[in-house]
Amino acid sequence: MRPAADRLVDDYLRRLDSELRDLPRARRRELRQEIAEHIDEARDGLAAESEADVRNLLERLGEPAEIAAEARERLGVHPRRAGFIEVAAIVLLPVGGVVIPVLGWIAGVILLWVSEAWTVRDKLIGTLVVPGGLLVPVYLALAAGDSTSCSGSFDAAGRVISRSCSDGGSGLWHALAGIGIVALVLAPLITAVYLGRRMRRPAAPTALTSARRAASAP
Amino acid sequence: MSQDALVAQMRRGTLQYCVLAMLATQERYAFELVRALSEEDGMVTSEGTIYPLLSRLRRDGLVHTTWRESTTGPPRRYYELTAAGRSALAAFAEEWSRFRDAVDRFMEGRVQA
Repeated sequence: MRPAADRLVDDYLRRLDSELRDLPRARRRELRQEIAEHIDEARDGLAAESEADVRNLLERLGEPAEIAAEARERLGVHPRRAGFIEVAAIVLLPVGGVVIPVLGWIAGVILLWVSEAWTVRDKLIGTLVVPGGLLVPVYLALAAGDSTSCSGSFDAAGRVISRSCSDGGSGLWHALAGIGIVALVLAPLITAVYLGRRMRRPAAPTALTSARRAASAP
Repeated sequence: MSQDALVAQMRRGTLQYCVLAMLATQERYAFELVRALSEEDGMVTSEGTIYPLLSRLRRDGLVHTTWRESTTGPPRRYYELTAAGRSALAAFAEEWSRFRDAVDRFMEGRVQA
């Protein structure tokens, strides 16, 4: 029975970590550690631990979301709503580099890292997928256009007698390049959507939280 | 504010002093503290929500923690009142008894216009 119980506890602590994400690091560590200790202590007190016992003790401890809401309220943490910085970062990362080559994207990266709405992991994703944002596929598409070369022959008066254009590549190469460019267009856009969703949620207003707690009280 | 929300707020507001009061006579480890509070009818709805409160009391310097060896298992973190915790508790105890007595006089119909 032990592995199943361990899995339940691991899952619980993982959910707790994710809910506590917007608390200051020191507080988050402390809470996480104390609750893990509580679980260990409660499990030690069980004569013969069954999966049901562990489920009961986790239930008694309460939902991670509820603990996190209480922590935000008690510790006075009010995560920022998506402000100007966050919106600007989400817009500049994909398109900034196209509007003002390279610099626009760099501005987006700076705002991304200045904002407190994302974790370091999310900031890395935002920076690395794809560096330069849509500038990269736009540049590649233009470069591919340029590689189409034309040659012609002219008569003495400069009029075109014959003209032939070659695109300088095979069909397979073209198909791969096309897929690559589509991927490079989609990646920054998907990343922008991802960053929009990963932004820390605003704290529930105090009165609402307490009303909910009162409603769920036995 | 609905009556339920009001009761919830009262419970929330007084919980920290209940924790301080539990530590007034002896130091306790977190698990013991949390279990005792949760067994008291109507004080807390889930045990886990007491930990953020303990964290804040520590941050505010009202309690202090020390690790102690345990005879039965791994070392435990014991909570004890600091001087600031003791005076916060004393101030609240005085306010509380005055408030409680006043409300009781109304509830029991002893205050006449």
